[in-house]
Amino acid sequence: MAPKEKYSPSTKEAEFLATIRNGKYDRDIITGLKKFMEGNVPQDMQGFYSQEELDAVKALDGTDRDVQARMPVKITRHYFEQAKTSKAIQTLVKASPKETYDLDGAEDPGKQMSYSPVEGLIHKYELGLIYVASTCSAHCRFCYREELIAKKEITRADGSVAAKGLAQIKDIVEYITEHNRLVDENGGSHPETKRERLREILMSGGDPMVLGNKNIGQWLSALAEAGIENIRIGTKELAFFPKRFDETFFEMLDTFHEAYPGVNLRMMVHFNHPDEVLLKDPNGDFIQDPEGGLTWHPDAKAAVQAFRSRSWINVDNQSPIIAGINDDADALRILQREMKRNGIENHYFFCGRDIVGHKAFNVPIERAWEILNESQKGLSGVEAHARLSITHYKGKTEVAAVTKTAVPGVKGGENGVVIFKLLRSAADASDRAKVTIVGRNPEAIWFSGYDDRVIVDEAELYSIYDIPAISLVAAE
Amino acid sequence: MTYVVTDNCIQCKYTDCVTVCPVDCFYEGPNFLVIHPDECIDCDACVEACPAGAIFNEDNLPEDKKLFLELNEELCLIWPQISDQKDPLPDAATWDGVDGKIERLIKTAPDT
Repeated sequence: MAPKEKYSPSTKEAEFLATIRNGKYDRDIITGLKKFMEGNVPQDMQGFYSQEELDAVKALDGTDRDVQARMPVKITRHYFEQAKTSKAIQTLVKASPKETYDLDGAEDPGKQMSYSPVEGLIHKYELGLIYVASTCSAHCRFCYREELIAKKEITRADGSVAAKGLAQIKDIVEYITEHNRLVDENGGSHPETKRERLREILMSGGDPMVLGNKNIGQWLSALAEAGIENIRIGTKELAFFPKRFDETFFEMLDTFHEAYPGVNLRMMVHFNHPDEVLLKDPNGDFIQDPEGGLTWHPDAKAAVQAFRSRSWINVDNQSPIIAGINDDADALRILQREMKRNGIENHYFFCGRDIVGHKAFNVPIERAWEILNESQKGLSGVEAHARLSITHYKGKTEVAAVTKTAVPGVKGGENGVVIFKLLRSAADASDRAKVTIVGRNPEAIWFSGYDDRVIVDEAELYSIYDIPAISLVAAE
Repeated sequence: MTYVVTDNCIQCKYTDCVTVCPVDCFYEGPNFLVIHPDECIDCDACVEACPAGAIFNEDNLPEDKKLFLELNEELCLIWPQISDQKDPLPDAATWDGVDGKIERLIKTAPDT
């Protein structure tokens, strides 16, 4: 295999890159169940899976319900410590035969691949998402990037089938530069796609924080040189291995900021449950911090404080609502309160996607809305910023309200309606804040659960699939 | 948990693995590469990149290659890190697949 032509950094980039030190990390990762099955894990981890649990997963190995092939099992020592006293975290990280009981669902319900113009890039809105790593320090069982993590072959928009590749710096910089050039020449919108300038890039994966500082630094400076103003790093490392955010990492960030002071960093962190970050007493209760709030794991607390002491860095949390993990209003209330108190904005909660092998994790849309709404009772206004989001092919959509007042004459209307609000469409923002109203279906886990009960479709979430709204039918 | 470089790298050293490793955990000796087991993040990228098929997941190591786990552990501590691809060793193609290459393994650290 011939080496690909590499990206050549500018002199300014090269000077920044020359200053970066890679840290050394001891994540103590256990991958696969084999070590658990053979009793080949540290003494205190041996009871993490019961023999029955191991046997049940092993029985599926090599079948079409193979749980380990669906998503390799992986856990760090730090996350194990937090999981020991948390049923929720155990559900998050332990393989279970339930994952493959029901394999109904679509491969790509959000049709992500149709938004991928370059290998490893998803371009929506004025935001581009790039896959820069194909693994994480530990694996969430509910991960919907399983095709990347487990290296499954997927069908592309052009019909070809291959494993998803990672983004290459050279390709991405060329794409950004060319896109922005066309936008600028065309008075602010792309001549074909109508999109605006690419101003923001989300580094994702996998988890970018498994990469070394040098590798992360190469992306940061290359993106900055390409004119990107805001760089997001989507990471769960604050939960899996907070010691990754060490002196060498912040030293790299500070040097980057000196070289590119106009670029903002937005850490998009991923806490699903307060058990991932809070300490517990021997009774299993959270510990009051005498200074206020609850007591955090010191490593996570130190990392968050290091981010928040730098004015050019924001930290936002977003999390799906997952069955058996955080479909729990009390847990979400504590999570939102503790995030905000420590300077982490509560951004989105997501409805799970209707992907193959996700039935065990899916919470119905209306139930998720009720849980989030219940969790926000008792929160102050600034603590309750998070919205429930569901990603339609057309764009990011909020589940704005679920009503209980009967709307007669509509299927499902006897129980009330669900109001979806399009936050923005994937190309431009012209449809922002348009709504779609559907009759209720408490079982629905995706938009398709409402196909037969669309009342108003101003946002065109259904008409793009030629599904009529009752309001239109009545008008004809 | 780690990935392990085994005997078929000896005398070949194609170094394709180095270009795909996200954490630069390869270390280079005179005629062999090794993976630092504590730095490897189990991403699996190097397995397919290796033209010689020399890299295995620790859990899938064939019985006769188990000794390479310790060799990787030992040699990564004395050899320098490698993060850019180099030309393979001159007779790489000839040596690829030859049995008994372990006897040719040179463990010395480079002069510094």
